[in-house]
Amino acid sequence: MNTTARPLEAIAGFAALLREHGLKVGVAEQQAMVRSALCLPLERCAQLGPAWRAIACHDARDWRRWPELFERYWHPQRVRGTTRVSGQTRPSRQLQQLVQSLHDSMGAGMPRGGPADSALQARAEADDAGLARAQGGASRTEALHDRSLSQWLPQDLAQLEQLAEQIARRLRKRLTRRWHDQAGGRRLDLRRTLRASLRTGGLPIHPVWRAPRRERPRLFMLVDVSRSMQTHAQLFLRIARAFVTTMDARVFVFHTRLAEVTPLLRSDSAAVQEKVNAVTAGFGGGTRIAASLADFHTVHARAQLTRRSRLWLLSDGFDADAPEGLAEQLARVRGRGARIDWFHPSELVPASQAMVAVQAQGGLVERFHRLNSLKDLAQVADHLR
Amino acid sequence: MSDAELRESLHRAGYIADEALATTLWLAGELQRPLLVEGDAGVGKTALAAALAKARGQRLVRLQCHEGLDLSQAAYEWNYGRQLLAIRLHETGAERLAETDLFARDYLLERPLLQAISSDAPCVLLIDEIDRADEAFEAFLLEVLADYQITVPELGTLQARHVPQVVLTSNATRELSDALRRRCLYHYLEYPTLAREIAIVRATLPQAESGLVEQAVAFVQRLRREDLGKTPGIAETLDWVRALHRLEFRALPDDPQALAGTLACLLKTREDRFQIGEDRIRQLIEGRRSVGVAEKAPQPS
Repeated sequence: MNTTARPLEAIAGFAALLREHGLKVGVAEQQAMVRSALCLPLERCAQLGPAWRAIACHDARDWRRWPELFERYWHPQRVRGTTRVSGQTRPSRQLQQLVQSLHDSMGAGMPRGGPADSALQARAEADDAGLARAQGGASRTEALHDRSLSQWLPQDLAQLEQLAEQIARRLRKRLTRRWHDQAGGRRLDLRRTLRASLRTGGLPIHPVWRAPRRERPRLFMLVDVSRSMQTHAQLFLRIARAFVTTMDARVFVFHTRLAEVTPLLRSDSAAVQEKVNAVTAGFGGGTRIAASLADFHTVHARAQLTRRSRLWLLSDGFDADAPEGLAEQLARVRGRGARIDWFHPSELVPASQAMVAVQAQGGLVERFHRLNSLKDLAQVADHLR
Repeated sequence: MSDAELRESLHRAGYIADEALATTLWLAGELQRPLLVEGDAGVGKTALAAALAKARGQRLVRLQCHEGLDLSQAAYEWNYGRQLLAIRLHETGAERLAETDLFARDYLLERPLLQAISSDAPCVLLIDEIDRADEAFEAFLLEVLADYQITVPELGTLQARHVPQVVLTSNATRELSDALRRRCLYHYLEYPTLAREIAIVRATLPQAESGLVEQAVAFVQRLRREDLGKTPGIAETLDWVRALHRLEFRALPDDPQALAGTLACLLKTREDRFQIGEDRIRQLIEGRRSVGVAEKAPQPS
């Protein structure tokens, strides 16, 4: 296959790779990429990378992912550990050739939005129709794997963040109590209307309205970092960090005592885990869920536990306190109106005495969720409110 | 103006841009697309727009966003006082006043967005800290940024005479909508490299001793690797070098006590001040890096 004959396909292939990795690259972005390649003089084609980066990236996460994706597609020989699949025909990926061929086939002086755009549009449409997907029958989207979270890999983190964002969006905003009687409409803001009328000599020409106030639930996460949860705690903290970023959750860790780690999770530092370890170092062995929960709602979140609150407990449920203690403390949290969800890494709901008591009482925990893989987390999203 | 020429002009305007940033700015002009710049506080996002205006010899129109920013503060407002005055004047005179006379451009107060749209000459529009504005305002901006027009119900749609170069900055205190992001080109400003930061400080403070600048910038670069709550940006480096120069230092002193007072320019929270004690300052001055309990000497460059 002559490599210079299909520059648009090469760009479309690159856009497809970007999309597969979560970058939002549509037809408009592809058109802008072609236009920028036409704008740049041939001798400056090395600057095409930064130019396309500005077009295809829309946030800091895309920005950080770009260099790897760009190298992987355009300079695969420089990337270690890549494999070639035989039987595929793919266009050349040499940028200089690509720019040269674009300039040759379309002319740098061509009016904008001309044939380049329409050719690309056609290509994109064909692509969408599934005509050009002969890549050995493999799916374009990777299935969420059900590998145990105790064997998590660094590449799972990006997927984890996306899932956290999806869940945050699902926890829908609700009207605050004062707006319940005017759910659909807005309300006159008399004070600001009178203040605004001063500039029109006291005539209230422009009334000021208050929009209905909707607020997101306030999320609290309690992560069990005891010895029995050792293999899962690190990733549970990663999950918690994703929710701190996306919806400003407050995160606590506990085993024999409770400590808040939200400020530590705000910064994306490699030292986070060390700091969390340092916080929990002197806690001693065992797990005291009931005592930690009592500390949580009487000291740390006293004023913030309302009907709008959600409490997520990430624990295996093995409690060293008195068996009835956990149910009592959960009932007190529930009494404040907060909804409680329990996430456990085991296949079935933990059968410890404390958990049996919780289940026997009924109505304390909204739902028990298994959380042992990314697939579980995706399924959990459907049940959270 | 090519991207290389733009980079040169920015340099003359006192902004040291790397090649990628210059290309992005040039491309934003070529494609007539707004540029969204994100990055930590103090890395030079706002300064970029000011330097771009200076480099192109254009006027800078600045809109500072804040919570509760509305149309009347950002785009336009009718001058009600003048309208009422005109009505009263015409009540006393014989001349009739039509309603259309009252809603003419004379009675329109132009705020930054309308100023940029109706500017007679090309200009640079800086929409600073867009993440602080409400979502409703962000939605209004979509029309302005996509079509470079503003609709005033009484007058109709006002089209831009010259498409302004729009630069939006954000500190990511709130997630911006996808719709806004996709209308913009994007650039994430990182902290500068050692060489670039030295060049920036030299360009801004040519009177400071060369040795002092190099040592101070190297100190700040090492400080950024610490786990601080508020990492010092370029603005902080400039403040610190300015302070050291005013105190007539010709090089960084070996004694951390001598620096203690000036570190207020770099460390802005109580926790950071507590974390960077005298011993740590001494290590940072000497260029030693501590990894766990072991200490590493600086690599010869």
